[in-house]
Amino acid sequence: MTESSFILKHPLRVRVFHYLLAASFLTLAVTGIMLYFKLLAEPAMNTAMQVHVVAGVVLTMDALAFFFLAFDRVVLFTKRTFTFSGNDIKWFAVLGGYPQKILLHKKVDVPPMGKYNAGQKLFGICVLVGGTLLILSGWVLWALPHAVPHGAASMIGSIHLYASWVLILFLFVHLFLGIYMWDDFKAMFVDGRIPYEDAAEKAPLWVKNDLRRLG
Amino acid sequence: MNQETKTYRKGEIPGIIAINARECKGCDACKRFCPTGAITGMFGTTHRVDVDRCISCGQCLINCPFGAPYETVDPVDEVAAKLADKHVTVVGIIAPAVRVAIGEPFGMPAGSLVTGKMYSAMKKAGFVILDNNFAADLTIMEEGTEFIQRARHALFGEKAEHGGGIGPLPQFTSCCPAWVRFVETNYPALIPNLSSAKSPQQMAGAVAKTYGAAQVFNVAPESVYTVGIMPCTAKKFEASRPEFQSAWHFTKEKGGSAPSAPYPDIDAVLTTRDLARLLKKMKINLAAENDAEGGTLFAEYTGAGTIFGNTGGVMEAALRTAWVVLTGTPLSKIEFTAVRGLKGVKSAAVTLRDRKYGKEVTVKVAVVHDIRANIRPIVEEVMAGRSPYHFIEVMNCPGGCINGGGQPVCDTGSSWIGRVLPSFAWS
Ligand code: SF4
Ligand code: SF4
Ligand code: SF4
Repeated sequence: MTESSFILKHPLRVRVFHYLLAASFLTLAVTGIMLYFKLLAEPAMNTAMQVHVVAGVVLTMDALAFFFLAFDRVVLFTKRTFTFSGNDIKWFAVLGGYPQKILLHKKVDVPPMGKYNAGQKLFGICVLVGGTLLILSGWVLWALPHAVPHGAASMIGSIHLYASWVLILFLFVHLFLGIYMWDDFKAMFVDGRIPYEDAAEKAPLWVKNDLRRLG
Repeated sequence: MNQETKTYRKGEIPGIIAINARECKGCDACKRFCPTGAITGMFGTTHRVDVDRCISCGQCLINCPFGAPYETVDPVDEVAAKLADKHVTVVGIIAPAVRVAIGEPFGMPAGSLVTGKMYSAMKKAGFVILDNNFAADLTIMEEGTEFIQRARHALFGEKAEHGGGIGPLPQFTSCCPAWVRFVETNYPALIPNLSSAKSPQQMAGAVAKTYGAAQVFNVAPESVYTVGIMPCTAKKFEASRPEFQSAWHFTKEKGGSAPSAPYPDIDAVLTTRDLARLLKKMKINLAAENDAEGGTLFAEYTGAGTIFGNTGGVMEAALRTAWVVLTGTPLSKIEFTAVRGLKGVKSAAVTLRDRKYGKEVTVKVAVVHDIRANIRPIVEEVMAGRSPYHFIEVMNCPGGCINGGGQPVCDTGSSWIGRVLPSFAWS
C-alpha cells in the first residue's frame, strides 16, 4: 500500500445507520434532559415530549432496519466489541494515550488495537445493551404504562433514566474523541474512508489481520 | 385544601385525590381511567386534578404506574387517637369488598376472604364491629321498596302513602358516591331519578349513632365515633356531605342531648389501605389473627348484603326484595345470575305478578359498571326519554367496589379489566 491509499472503514449502510442514530439520539438526549428537569412551560414541554417520541420511533426504526438489513455488520460489531485481550487492559491503563497527548502533548506507548480500541469497545457494549434497554423501556413507558405491573413500571422508568444518563455521558466522550480523530470523523460522516497510515497507527491489528487489498 | 371551587357545598371535602408533581411523569396513563376527564396536563407535563370535575373515585390513584396520585385526607392518626380514648365508642363499619382485599397488605394471597380475622384484628384495635352488610340489607329494603313505589306509580298511578312526590323511572341506585356526584355535576336533570336511599355507609352511621347508641352500646350518641372501612376514596367525600347529619337531627328532635354544632353520621373513613396502615401502626398482624365473630347485632346480615361489593350485586339484591314484596312469595331460586359478570352493561327482564294489582309486570333492569367506558349512552337514552329500563344499577369503578380506589394497589398490572391495548399518548 502506498501513502495515498485509503481504507473503507465505514460502508454506506453503516454510515446511513449512524446518521440516523446520531440525529435521533442527540434529539432524544436534549429533549430527555428538558423533560427530566421540567425546564419549560407546559406547551413547550408537550412539544419536547412529542419530539422525544418521534425521535424514539426513528431510532427504533433505524435499529430494526440495521438489524435486519445489515445483520452481518451487527454480528461483526458485536463480535468485535465483545472480544477482549490483555491489550485492552493495558490500553485502559494509559487511556489510549489520549490524556497524555491532549493535555501534556506527550506520546506514550499504546498497545496495538483492532478496528475498535478498548474504549470504543466499551462504548459499543454500552450502545448495544443500553440502546436496547432504552428502546424497549421507552416503548413500554410510552405505549403501555397502564398495562404493566406498578413495580415493573417504576423499575422500567429507572432503567430508562439510568441507561440514558450513561449513554449521554459516553456521548460527550464519543463526540470529543470523534472530532479529535478528525479523519475517522470525516470517514463516518462523508465517504467512509480513512487514510491507510491513520488506520495502521490507530488500529494496527485490524490492518494486519482483517484487511485485504482490493485490486 | 385552600382553593376556589364551584361544585362543592360548605363542609364538603373538595378533591380527595391530588397528584404529586414531583412523582408525576406526565405519561397520561391516568387519563385512560378517569371517568370525568378531571385530569389536566398535556402529555409529558405534570398532571393535575380539576377538583370541580373530580368525583374522588381514586381510579387514577390505583392505576398510575408511578404512584403519583395521593389521598389528601388521611384520618389514620385521628382514628388511632379515638381508639385510645376510653370514653369513645369507635364503631368500625366494614364494607363487603374490604374483607377480600385487606389480607393482601399482610402477605396473604390476593382475594383471600378474611372476615373472621378482620373482626378479630379490629376488635383488638378497639373497634366495635358494625358489618356494613347489615346496613346493605337496610339499603336494599329501602331501595327495593322505593322502586316498587315508583313502578306502581308509573304503571298504576299509585299515590304516595304519606303524600309527597314520587320519583320517576328509571330509578338509579345511589350507593356509589362517585356516581351520585357524577350525576350532580354532569346530568343534574337526572337527580330525581337517583334513589333517595342513603348508601349503606351512611345508613350504618345514622343507625350506630341512634339505635346503636341507645340500644346496643348504651352510650350517649355524641360519644359514638363512626368509622367507615371502605374500598373507596369517594366515601371520604360522601361522609363530608352536609345532609348526612341525620343522627344529630334525630337526637335533637327527640329531645335527647345533642351538642349545638351538628355532628356527622360518619366521622371518618378509612380505605382498605388506611386500615392496613392503622393495624400495622398498632402492631396488629391481621394474617396471624384467629377468626372471631362480630359480636353484636350489627354483625348479622343476609347474602344480599354480601354481594353489594360486586357489579350487579345491588341489583340482584334489590330484585330479590322486589320479587318477594310484589309477588308475596319467596323466590324458589335465589339468584339473578343475568346481572352478574364483568360485561360493561348487563340487562335482564323479569316478569312477575304484582299481587296487589293482579297484573303481570315485566321489570327491565340494567347494570352498569366502569362509568368512564359505559355510562354515557345509558344516561343519554334516559335524558331523551327512550330508556327501556326501569331500574339501573351504576357503580363507578370497573368491576364494582371490589376494584375501588381505596383498595390495595395491585402490583400485578393496573388494567385488569380491558385497556391492555397500547395507548400512544400525544397531546
Ligand atoms: S399516570 Fe401518574 S405519572 Fe402518569 S401522568 Fe398520570 S399521575 Fe402522572
Ligand atoms: S379521583 Fe377519579 S375522577 Fe378524580 S381525577 Fe382521579 S380518576 Fe378522575
Ligand atoms: S364503585 Fe364502589 S368503590 Fe367505586 S366509587 Fe363507587 S362506591 Fe366507591
